[in-house]
Amino acid sequence: MELVIEAGQTERQYWRDLWRYRELFYFLAWRDLLVRYKQTLVGVSWALIRPLLTMIVLTIVFGKLGKMPSGGIPYPLLVFCGLLPWSFFSNALSESGNSVVANANLISKVYFPRLVIVISSVITSFVDFLISGAFLLILMAWYRYLPPVAVLSLPFFVLMALSAAFGVGLWIAALMVEYRDVRFVVPFIVQFGLYISPVGFQSGVVPPRFRLLYALNPMVGIIDGFRWSLLGARSGMYWPGLVVGFISVSALVASGIWYFRKTERTFADVI
Amino acid sequence: MSNHVITIQDLGKRYTIGRQRTNGDGMRHLIEGALRDPLGRLRSGGRRKLQQVDIWALKDVCFHIDQGEVVGIIGSNGAGKSTLLKILSRITAPTKGRICINGRIASLLEAGTGFHQELTGRENIFLNGAILGMSRAEIIRKFDEIVEFSGVEEFIDTPVKRYSSGMYVRLGFAVAAHLEPEILIVDEVLAVGDAAFQKKCLGKIGNFAQSGRTVLFVSHNMEAIRTLCQRAVWLKNGRLHKDGRVDDVVGEYFNG
Repeated sequence: MELVIEAGQTERQYWRDLWRYRELFYFLAWRDLLVRYKQTLVGVSWALIRPLLTMIVLTIVFGKLGKMPSGGIPYPLLVFCGLLPWSFFSNALSESGNSVVANANLISKVYFPRLVIVISSVITSFVDFLISGAFLLILMAWYRYLPPVAVLSLPFFVLMALSAAFGVGLWIAALMVEYRDVRFVVPFIVQFGLYISPVGFQSGVVPPRFRLLYALNPMVGIIDGFRWSLLGARSGMYWPGLVVGFISVSALVASGIWYFRKTERTFADVI
Repeated sequence: MSNHVITIQDLGKRYTIGRQRTNGDGMRHLIEGALRDPLGRLRSGGRRKLQQVDIWALKDVCFHIDQGEVVGIIGSNGAGKSTLLKILSRITAPTKGRICINGRIASLLEAGTGFHQELTGRENIFLNGAILGMSRAEIIRKFDEIVEFSGVEEFIDTPVKRYSSGMYVRLGFAVAAHLEPEILIVDEVLAVGDAAFQKKCLGKIGNFAQSGRTVLFVSHNMEAIRTLCQRAVWLKNGRLHKDGRVDDVVGEYFNG
């Protein structure tokens, strides 16, 4: 097994290395989760309290005060269904964006494909997602709401959410190594995105002629998909929007991987 | 040729330092700069606010290492030793040149790489082991040996932040000592730790060398270099100054 390191050439065995270091995904995610819950008061419940409180606030603001249409579905359920993928996306974004810089001590001392760092932080957020997902099931049982057959397509939307988080995360992570002030962009995207994305309301509220443009925001297609497969929104699924969203996500992931790989070789020198 | 475990050809590594940035390091400044002076880059000479100084941490380094050799790398601070190890460990990329490596490399550039303060010794052994490239099964198998070697058995379930610096280093080295690569790269890790620990480390590295594996050892401790290595490479200002038998090179290093 010969390894060649040559100036100006990306290593051919990068993807093989990614497989060789696969256990690191687990270990780094395990480390982050373990550290998060040590020395905490409330422990695992944090994964639930945050979305729960946001749901309450959004229901009051958009549902009761704004009186947005809910299409016959209990408003808290509607909101939570949108909140679930959104929280996952925003948490994954913040964590993965910061992940490379946070692991600077590893970057400068050990070799492993740096993509592992970003992927494992997305996995950490995914665990939170699963915990919140369990809560959604409880909520649905509370409202005696049974999901339609379309729920079988849920894994597809979950995968799409994972990819969106991963794609944006890669960009932020790579940019942040060189330009530290990118970290201030992230909370802004998250705040702005929460109101722009159909979390507190349904995307059907958007005027038809803007719907396609609106769907460029990948979270639109994902949230709609979640709502459609879990709650069976009577308005149905806006398919052209989903296609646009899918293209958005693919572009994000492809470009993210490209930029990350391009700048990765200088991480240890710049970080 | 077939016996060369590591072949280094015309290796060079350039760093850009001393950049006199006008304001700061952020993206904001990049954008600001572009808006203020869009043609600045195209203009030749003129007022150059940014002064870039290039240094070659390594230049035209060529040598090769055969299977089973124990090579000491010596040189004053800033000679390029750590840079060489970093390139071999694939942490940073070379600017020029080519390296061929035959065999699995494990690098020990720091004791306790990846240790997290909040985690216990036990948890950190797993974390550190995984980061260094051991599989979970391997770590479980060697766990007891590692704990015994480190001598922190009593405190294995206490968060590492409570450890003394000596315990910390001992644990870190204990994990790394149980790696089983074909090529081991060790960088001045022994600079910390008491005499007993240093002796233990050298003993372990010696065992490793005796089992026919290749070792690259960077140290300022000439005693250790003389004991462990048969061959020494002296780097001076990024260039290969002398490469030969350890006694000759170390002797000249002291006199020079």
